[in-house]
Amino acid sequence: MGMLELRHIDKTYRSRGKPPVHAVRSLDMEVGKGEIVALLGSSGCGKTSTLRMIAGFESVTSGTIALQGRRIDHLAPARRKVAMAFEGYSLYPPLTVRENIAFALKSQQIARSEMSRRVEAVARLVEIEGILESFPRAISGGQQQRVSLARALVRDADLYLLDEPMGQLEPQLRAVLRGRIKNLLAERGMTAIFVTHDQTEASALADRIAVMEDGVLQQFASERELKNQPANLFVASFIGEPPMNLLETDVSRCDGGFRLSMSREVAFEIRGDALDRVVQKTLEETASVRIGIRPQKIAVGTGEVRVRILSNQWLGDQSHVAVECGGKLLIAVTPSRVAARPGDNIQFGLDPRHIHIFGADGTCIRHAEVS
Amino acid sequence: MDHGSLAGRIFRGVALALILVFFMFPIVWILLMSFQTNEQILRIPPRILFEPTLANYEALISGQLRTAAGNLEISFMHNLWNSFVLSSLAVVLALVLGVPAAYAFARYKFKLGETIAFTLLSFRFAPPLLVLLPLSLYYQELGLNDTYVGIVWVYQLIALPLILWIVRGYFEDISPDIEHAYRLAGHSWREAFTHIAVPLAGPGIAAAALLSFIFCWNNFVFALILASADKQPVTVGALAFVTASGIQYGQIAAAIVLSVMPTLLLALYAQRYLVEGLSLGAVKG
Amino acid sequence: MARLELKQVRKTFGGASSADGVSLTVEPGEIVAVFGPSGGGKTVLLRMIAGMFEPDEGDILVGGRSIVGAAPERRGVGMAFQNFALFPHMSARDNIASGLRAKTAKEAATRIDAISRLLKIEHVLGHLPRELSNGQKQRTALARALIGNPEVLLLDDPLRNVDAKLRYEMRLELPNLLRRGAASVLYVTQDYREAMAIADRIAVLMDGHVEQIAAPEEIYSRPASVAVARLFGDPSINLAEVTPCNEHGALVAAVAGAKVRLGANGGTATDRPCWLGVRPEDLALSRTASEDAIPARILAITPMHEKSVLLLRLADGTEWFVALPPDAPHGAADDAVFVRFLPEAALLFDRATGLRVGLPHHRQAA
Repeated sequence: MGMLELRHIDKTYRSRGKPPVHAVRSLDMEVGKGEIVALLGSSGCGKTSTLRMIAGFESVTSGTIALQGRRIDHLAPARRKVAMAFEGYSLYPPLTVRENIAFALKSQQIARSEMSRRVEAVARLVEIEGILESFPRAISGGQQQRVSLARALVRDADLYLLDEPMGQLEPQLRAVLRGRIKNLLAERGMTAIFVTHDQTEASALADRIAVMEDGVLQQFASERELKNQPANLFVASFIGEPPMNLLETDVSRCDGGFRLSMSREVAFEIRGDALDRVVQKTLEETASVRIGIRPQKIAVGTGEVRVRILSNQWLGDQSHVAVECGGKLLIAVTPSRVAARPGDNIQFGLDPRHIHIFGADGTCIRHAEVS
Repeated sequence: MDHGSLAGRIFRGVALALILVFFMFPIVWILLMSFQTNEQILRIPPRILFEPTLANYEALISGQLRTAAGNLEISFMHNLWNSFVLSSLAVVLALVLGVPAAYAFARYKFKLGETIAFTLLSFRFAPPLLVLLPLSLYYQELGLNDTYVGIVWVYQLIALPLILWIVRGYFEDISPDIEHAYRLAGHSWREAFTHIAVPLAGPGIAAAALLSFIFCWNNFVFALILASADKQPVTVGALAFVTASGIQYGQIAAAIVLSVMPTLLLALYAQRYLVEGLSLGAVKG
Repeated sequence: MARLELKQVRKTFGGASSADGVSLTVEPGEIVAVFGPSGGGKTVLLRMIAGMFEPDEGDILVGGRSIVGAAPERRGVGMAFQNFALFPHMSARDNIASGLRAKTAKEAATRIDAISRLLKIEHVLGHLPRELSNGQKQRTALARALIGNPEVLLLDDPLRNVDAKLRYEMRLELPNLLRRGAASVLYVTQDYREAMAIADRIAVLMDGHVEQIAAPEEIYSRPASVAVARLFGDPSINLAEVTPCNEHGALVAAVAGAKVRLGANGGTATDRPCWLGVRPEDLALSRTASEDAIPARILAITPMHEKSVLLLRLADGTEWFVALPPDAPHGAADDAVFVRFLPEAALLFDRATGLRVGLPHHRQAA
């Protein structure tokens, strides 16, 4: 049994004079104890509604929420044993940073010395030990966000909910805090769910990522699985930086399999016996199919395809090369520096084992073979 | 979401009805009075049911007031026209002066800027009666007493602070970058003001104009002292109903209905802008 | 086309210095990114060039002629704003057309059609800004800035408010778009990857002065100071306090109990308190101890940018990052590991001044 179970959750917002908004549709999710889960999606995808329903700030329209086997969807927020860090920080203005963090512990009947030890430990973790005696209005937005985070993490709760926990932090600090918080959560076996629109944040911090779009859970899996086995076109194009190259190809039969052609010169040949029956049947019945290949899986500088470079950008640790290939734009990423200029020609290596094939309805019918 | 039980809903309904009656009563009563004769109004106890008459309105529109002491000439329709002319001119004048000033206060930080803006607003704080005595003396000297120019001049003092403060809030809400962008596209600041700032602050300017129109329309004291019979607005003209043979309640009620009607219709029409304009002015001011 | 020159530009707001003697030159057809932490004076600099403020001191020249004191509309400057700054009461077409003056209707229509095709917004020209998506707004704003063929093009963090996917697309398209008119382009951004991808040179602006101006590769591999080094790279560069010493002709230093070899580039660093900087991607992990390997423990594994990023705690408590290729074996949280790097990967910065040790003097002065 999971630590947190969401069953058939629906959420519809009705306001007078406007059509109802179906924010979350039939959501089923199970989060294990000690797991860190990200709710990832663009704005309006239903991720924040989901978090707020778990916290108790929104009621569920239908469905049940259970935490540690006990139903909580009808309980007041304070009785659910969840801690939350708000996107808007929501610090108490008349209290100092220290009091703000300690406030969450007041109801827990903890000795003073223990309380201040815990406050100081969490303050060190998020690097706010120098501003513990300041008031919220006197500190920067990034610092307020860290205080809000500390106030949630200091509590003893069954579940920690974090709404865009690091959006305001400077990048140098963000990377360190992700690591430290992941370490803290793992060490204490804390279960956490956080909402983000930033896939870098999601993949860095989460054990599993729930990708949402239009109120529907698209896929709930580890970062690796989302990248290697995306469930559908949406996940494939949403996850990954830069996004997966998606190309329309013509399907024809060839000796022992199929030929997926981007253009007259560029084509992928896939052996029929490498495909299962359903995929074979789909390919037999269709004239064109959409395929995807990750920019990181394209070999640059070697290979049989000759392409013209449109842009070549070196970011210090990786090159992003955009080329024209069979009349289409392809992007490749490689960790080494590519010494070529726009207009030059370069060799590209496209391995048919690395392509994903998508059906007409957008579901991924064949994943790349993991190397 | 539906809060509360049936009892709660009933309680809420009753409470709403009570509040409605409390606030609407004077207005409804005046409306009813305007359709009654003086005798009907003054009988005790008053009755809700009566035979309506249009005599009051007829008298107002024809200008013939029949009282027990004989026929009386009144110029109510002329007063109404005066109200309209005075208020409109004052608002137009205040807009011409106030909108550019509001823009300046919103966009440029200059020495004493806040002080000047506040001084202009403080004109609204001064008790009009206190201002009136010196003002009427000056006006007599200047020959402005009992002229449209003189009254409009005083009226725009009522309108200007309102327009200044409400419109300023609207200008401040427009991102300066939008105007910068227009200037970088090759336009002078005057063009940026007329093509970008003014259209974007349009709702605010409309709200401010409407509100100040209503304030001007409702003014009594200035017109009472500074205007003679043929320049009087309705507010002062209503005094004519206090006659030697008693107060003409029916006509007064009809006069109130007629004089409130234009502003009420205007306000209803622009309700949304008004609320927005007012609350914005309140927050920013 | 004309070169943009800033000469010792100073600007103070209420006692705080926003520009403290900024000098830089942008050649026609060149894209210079202005990059730095927020509050570093980037936006103020751009706004002085656009004529929204005047500098207190110094001069701004376009094509050799000073534009200080000229009205914004006479400066020959086009600008794209972070918040788009579209005119809300005008259609996209009118927004773009506002940048064209004194053109016949026919000529204007041709130009608008050309630029909107280039920016792929020809199908939304009739829409009001509020009916456009963020991406379309951003392209409309760009079209408006580009259409007048300005001599100087200023872009104030134009991709800040568009989503990640679009930002990436624009990162690829922008360099070609911006170079079209051979304008001198100044591009403000808060994202170092965007700066590296788009610019020919990057000016790192900190506390109102240019800390370093150089080609992207140069800044990344040879940052002028420790502050610049920390701004480029995600996760950022690893630092450790060291005092290098000379041992048998080679420079070595003690880091968390290990004796690491440093490159030969820091000859003047001997016995000087320094910061040692090593980029996360230059570190290698192993399971075996040796004299030059730094002992550490894995705190957490945080995959980032298609790499496995590990947060380590070195034996002395310092936190370092290691970035490994996604498929490389890396162990699990709490494992004990050993960290190595090649001497060439080490950067040394003077701890007193923050400047990189071993730099030729003329570059330090920049």
